[in-house]
Amino acid sequence: MGADDEYLSSDSDVEETLDDDEGGDFEFSDDDLDIPDDVDETLYDDECGDFERSDDDSDELVDDRGEKAYTVLTEEDIGKRQEEDISQVFAGLSIARASATILLRHYNWEVNKALDSWFADEEKVRKDVGLLEEQVVPIQDTENVIECRSCFDVFPRDGMCATGCGHLFCKLCWTKYVSIKIDDGPGCLTMRCPEPSCAAAVGQDMVNELVSDKHKEKYSRYLLRSYVEDQKKIKWCPGPGCEYAVSFVAGSSSYDVICSSDHSFCWNCLDDAHRPVDCDTVGKWALMNTNESENITWIFANSKSCPKCKVPIQKNEGCMHMTCSCKFEFCWLCLGDWSTHAEETGGYFACNIYEKAKAEGAYDEEEKTKQEAKDFLDRYAFFYERFALSEMELGVITDAGRQIIECRCVLKWTYAYGYYLPESEHAKKNLFDHLQGEAESGLERLHQCAEQELQIYLKEDDSDDVHHLSTSLYDFKVFHTKLLGLTKVTGNYFGNLVRELENGLSDVNSR
Amino acid sequence: MQASRARLFKEYKEVQREKVADPDIQLVCDDTNIFKWTALIKGPSETPYEGGVFQLAFAVPEQYPLQPPQVRFLTKIFHPNVHFKTGEICLDILKTAWSPAWTLQSVCRAIIALMAHPEADSPLNCDSGNLLRSGDLRGYQSMARMYTKLAAMPKKG
Repeated sequence: MGADDEYLSSDSDVEETLDDDEGGDFEFSDDDLDIPDDVDETLYDDECGDFERSDDDSDELVDDRGEKAYTVLTEEDIGKRQEEDISQVFAGLSIARASATILLRHYNWEVNKALDSWFADEEKVRKDVGLLEEQVVPIQDTENVIECRSCFDVFPRDGMCATGCGHLFCKLCWTKYVSIKIDDGPGCLTMRCPEPSCAAAVGQDMVNELVSDKHKEKYSRYLLRSYVEDQKKIKWCPGPGCEYAVSFVAGSSSYDVICSSDHSFCWNCLDDAHRPVDCDTVGKWALMNTNESENITWIFANSKSCPKCKVPIQKNEGCMHMTCSCKFEFCWLCLGDWSTHAEETGGYFACNIYEKAKAEGAYDEEEKTKQEAKDFLDRYAFFYERFALSEMELGVITDAGRQIIECRCVLKWTYAYGYYLPESEHAKKNLFDHLQGEAESGLERLHQCAEQELQIYLKEDDSDDVHHLSTSLYDFKVFHTKLLGLTKVTGNYFGNLVRELENGLSDVNSR
Repeated sequence: MQASRARLFKEYKEVQREKVADPDIQLVCDDTNIFKWTALIKGPSETPYEGGVFQLAFAVPEQYPLQPPQVRFLTKIFHPNVHFKTGEICLDILKTAWSPAWTLQSVCRAIIALMAHPEADSPLNCDSGNLLRSGDLRGYQSMARMYTKLAAMPKKG
C-alpha cells in the first residue's frame, strides 16, 4: 500500500511537470507562430483551438493570451489564404480551379463545409451551385454558322462560346454580358449563363478569357472582398480608409483587437474597443445616449397626461384645477372631470376622491413606476456625466500632450536662433532671452500639470464611496479646466513667439 | 448603340413575319424611334381580363439586349403586380432574371402569363394583392373585371 501511495503521489508530480512543460511549449509555439502562420494555416488553427480549450478553466490565462487570438491581415495575406483554400478544394475534388472558387464562395469560403456537402450529395451541390456535370445542349461541332441568341447574328462555331451548359452565344455578346454584370457590382460572382433560366455558373476562367483588364481586376477585387465579407472568421477593420482585415479565433474571451494602423475596435460589434463591458451594454448605452428613450422616461416621471386629449402636462404651481389647452377641465390629483369636484370634495387644493382611492391603494402601482422612472433618470444622469467627462478628458489630455511636443520642438530651435543672433544687437538679445525664458517656464507649467497632477487622479481610483467620488469628480473638473487653460495659453504664447522670431524680433524697434 | 439597333431591327423583321402566328400580341415600333415600341395584348381567356385589349409601352435602353426594356401598362388594369397609377410591372424577367435571349415578343408573352397567374405576395397594387391573399377571389375578380370593362374594352353604343 505504502508503495502504491508513493507511486500515486510521484505520478501527480509528473503530471504537474508535464503541465508546466505544456504551458511552456505553448508560450513558445504561440509566439513563434506569429511569423509562419501563413505557411500552414490549418496547423495554426488547430493549435489555437487546443490552447483555447486547455486554458478554458483559467480565466486569467485567457485574458493574458486574449490579445493573441487574432491576426491582422494585409490584402496580400488575404489573397494568399484565399488561394490556399481554393487549392485545397481544387485538389480534394479534382474539379477546375474556377469551379472550386464558385463552390467555395457558395459555402461562404468554409472549406470543410464545401467538401462535406460535396461528398454527401454531389449531384445536389452541383445543381445548387450551377456546376453542371453534363452540357444541357451538346455543343455542336459543325461547319455551319450558328445564330447567336443575343444579337441574332450568325457566326461560325469558333466565334462562339458557352459555359458548362453548352448554350452558345457569340464572343462579343459574352464579353458585353460579363462586363455589364461586373459593372453591376459584387453580384457578378454569382453570374449565370445568359440563357433564360439556365442555372450554369460563369466562373473566373471565362471572365479572364473574355473581358478587359480593368474588368478582370474589378472581378478579382470582388472575389477578394467576398473572401473577407462572406466568411465569419475575418472582418475588415472599420477604421476610416483602413485596408487591413482581422482574422479572429473563435472562443477567445476578449474581442478587442488593434489593426496594424492602430485602429482599436471590438471584433464582434465593430464599435470602438470597449473592454470591460460587453457589446450589448455598448449597444444599449449608445441607444440611450442618442435615442429619445430617456426623454420619454422624463416625461413619464414628471408629467401626467390630459385625460381627454392625452397631451403630457407638467404642473409647476397653482391649484389642482387644471385646464388643458384642449379646454378640458380636470382635477390634477384624481384626473377626474372638474365638474364632479366642489367644496365637499376638498376644494381647489385637495381631492377627497383621490385621497379615498389612494388609501385603498388604487394609485400605488402608478406612483411606484413613476418613482422608479425618476430614480432611473437620476442614476443615468450620474453615470452619463462621468462617461462624457472621461471621453472629453481623453481629448484634453491628448491635446495637452500634442501641445507639449509641439512647443518642445519650437523651444529646441530657439536655441539655434539664439546662437545666430548677433551679440551686437543688445536690445534684440535681451528681448529674445526674455521671451525664451517665459516660454520655458510656461511650457514647464503645462508639462507639470499634464504629467504630475494627472497622476494624482490616476492613483485615486480605488475608492468606491459615491460621496468621495463626487468630491474627487469636482477636483477633477478643476484640474480639467486648468489643463485646458494652460494648453491654450501655452499654445498661443508659442504661436506668438514663433511669429516674433520669424519677423526678426522687429518689435524691438517699436518698444 | 449600334448593336442594340441591329438587334431591334431583326426583332422588327421577325415581328412582321410572326404577326399572323400570334393573334394575341400586336407589337408596333414607333415610326421615328426604334427604341420606342407599343404593344396591344389580349387579356387571357378564363381570367377577369378576358375580352379586354391592353396597351403596353416599351422603352428600350441602349444596352439592350444586355439590359431589359422598361415596360408599363398604358391601359388601366387592376392586377396585384401592376401599379394602379403608373402601370409599372413587377416581373422578375424585367429585372433580375432578365436574359439577353428574351425578345420584346417573349416579354409580351410573359406579361400575358403574369395576367393569368398573379403573384399576390409581391404586390405593387396592395388592394388587389390583399384581396387575393385574404382568399377573396370573387372580390378580386369582380374588381378586375370592372376595370377591364371600364378601360380595356371598346365603348358600346
